[in-house]
Amino acid sequence: MIEILPPLLDALSYILVLILVALGLMIVFGMMGVINMAHGELFMVGAYVMVVCQSLGLPFLVGVLFSGILVGLLGLLIEAALIRHIYTRTLDTILATWGLSIALKQGIVLIFGPEAQSVISPLSDTVSLGEFSYPLYRLLLMGASIALIGLTFWLFLKTDFGLTARAVIARPDTAATLGINTRSLYRRSFVIGTTLAGIAGALVAPLISVDPQMGLGYLIPGFLSILVGGAGPLAGVLAGGAAVGGTNSLLTVWISPVAAQIAVFIMAILVIRLRPEGLLGGRRGK
Amino acid sequence: MMPFLQITDLDKTFGGLRAVDDFHMSLDAGSLTAIVGPNGCGKSTLFNLITGALTPDRGTILFKGRDITGLPPHKIARLGIGRKFQVPAVFGELSVRENLALPAMKGRITSIRNDTNNARTTAILDQVLLTDKADWKAEHLSHGEKQWLEIGMLLAQAPELILLDEPTAGMTAAETAATAALIRQINQTGGITVLVIEHDIRFIEQLECPLLVMAKGQILKSGNFQSIRQDEQVQELYFGRTEAPHA
Repeated sequence: MIEILPPLLDALSYILVLILVALGLMIVFGMMGVINMAHGELFMVGAYVMVVCQSLGLPFLVGVLFSGILVGLLGLLIEAALIRHIYTRTLDTILATWGLSIALKQGIVLIFGPEAQSVISPLSDTVSLGEFSYPLYRLLLMGASIALIGLTFWLFLKTDFGLTARAVIARPDTAATLGINTRSLYRRSFVIGTTLAGIAGALVAPLISVDPQMGLGYLIPGFLSILVGGAGPLAGVLAGGAAVGGTNSLLTVWISPVAAQIAVFIMAILVIRLRPEGLLGGRRGK
Repeated sequence: MMPFLQITDLDKTFGGLRAVDDFHMSLDAGSLTAIVGPNGCGKSTLFNLITGALTPDRGTILFKGRDITGLPPHKIARLGIGRKFQVPAVFGELSVRENLALPAMKGRITSIRNDTNNARTTAILDQVLLTDKADWKAEHLSHGEKQWLEIGMLLAQAPELILLDEPTAGMTAAETAATAALIRQINQTGGITVLVIEHDIRFIEQLECPLLVMAKGQILKSGNFQSIRQDEQVQELYFGRTEAPHA
């Protein structure tokens, strides 16, 4: 008998981390038209900060906190030095952030070497779910991801900051005329997006191989999630992340990683062909 | 007394076109003034220069004696200058209430309820006759209602000067009359200085205010509705000459 529950839970935890990564990408793309090719590397830096924190003997939670803060600060630096000069020039942002991603990757190779690092899970316990036992840390990862996703949605849907941010997305000129500082909102949103990537990297570090190539493994499915879900409403990321992450994770277990990749790309092509605005049919402004 | 808004020597060129050309104007506090002029005469460019959406090539704009030339748009807005765009620029995805709350927001991480449900928003909803539709998404409003919502958003900024770019474009005659009455009320009871750009001659007449005629980036004439309407030069500008132009 095929064990159904563990692969489903694995898929769910992958989906949630993927949504965290994709949310950061989407905030940056939706608000500023910046396609951040370095987002996967920010996720990677988050994981490496965790590696360093653990080697210094710091508690896991402190590592998560540091990852968020340091990657957020790195985001601030990137915004101030690079991104703010190329807002709304979508094609240029791809080139500039791609260059940045190479620099970050090579920087990590220089410091840590090309080999994989490992982060020890802070909780080695397992919980028994009927006949199966399942790692407790994975369950906590899911809880933490849900909390972060919820917090991000609350921030963008229920606060002053979020309302002004959505106004800036829809009509930057009008928003500025109403006295909204669009530049400062861009910067803060960019930092929120990168912080999410950093935290996601730290949280997932105990479950995967931490190496200089890890970013790409999340960047591409992250982009596909936005594509499939639709780049308008934030909720599109949930649908897209579930579709892309679920297909990828489950087919990897049930058939093969290659089949999973093929299925995800076929799905993306079908969605682009049949629902060009994504599953939730988002649109950007008017 | 220092003029409320004083514009001197203002120039703005796009490529070879002088959209605003050695422009001078001053407005008194509490005045209501309309600028008329043919398409391309530089009216909208003038607004863009005042609000900071464009930076002038030359000249100064003084608002209450303070030089605001070249400040970023959000700073000019916060000094008390509101602007309504020609095309309704309401936020369709947001509710009417949220649209009205926006100008007061500073992007803090606090619940939006504080701004969307307060007395101020309620009063403005009442003034622009949208109380019944406060929780509608703005995209579902009629064209006229969107224009009014935008005027409401201006009021929510608590401005001292408002710039209205064709506020009645696309409105029915009844809506136009109601809008003229609203603008007069904002000016007279609210004490807000108003500068309007408009094409619609009925609306201009209903505003009962001094007119400035703009052509080729400059003020050509000023006066009241009757005198401007009968001015030959203005008629020529709008309708063209009937006889052959002299070389």
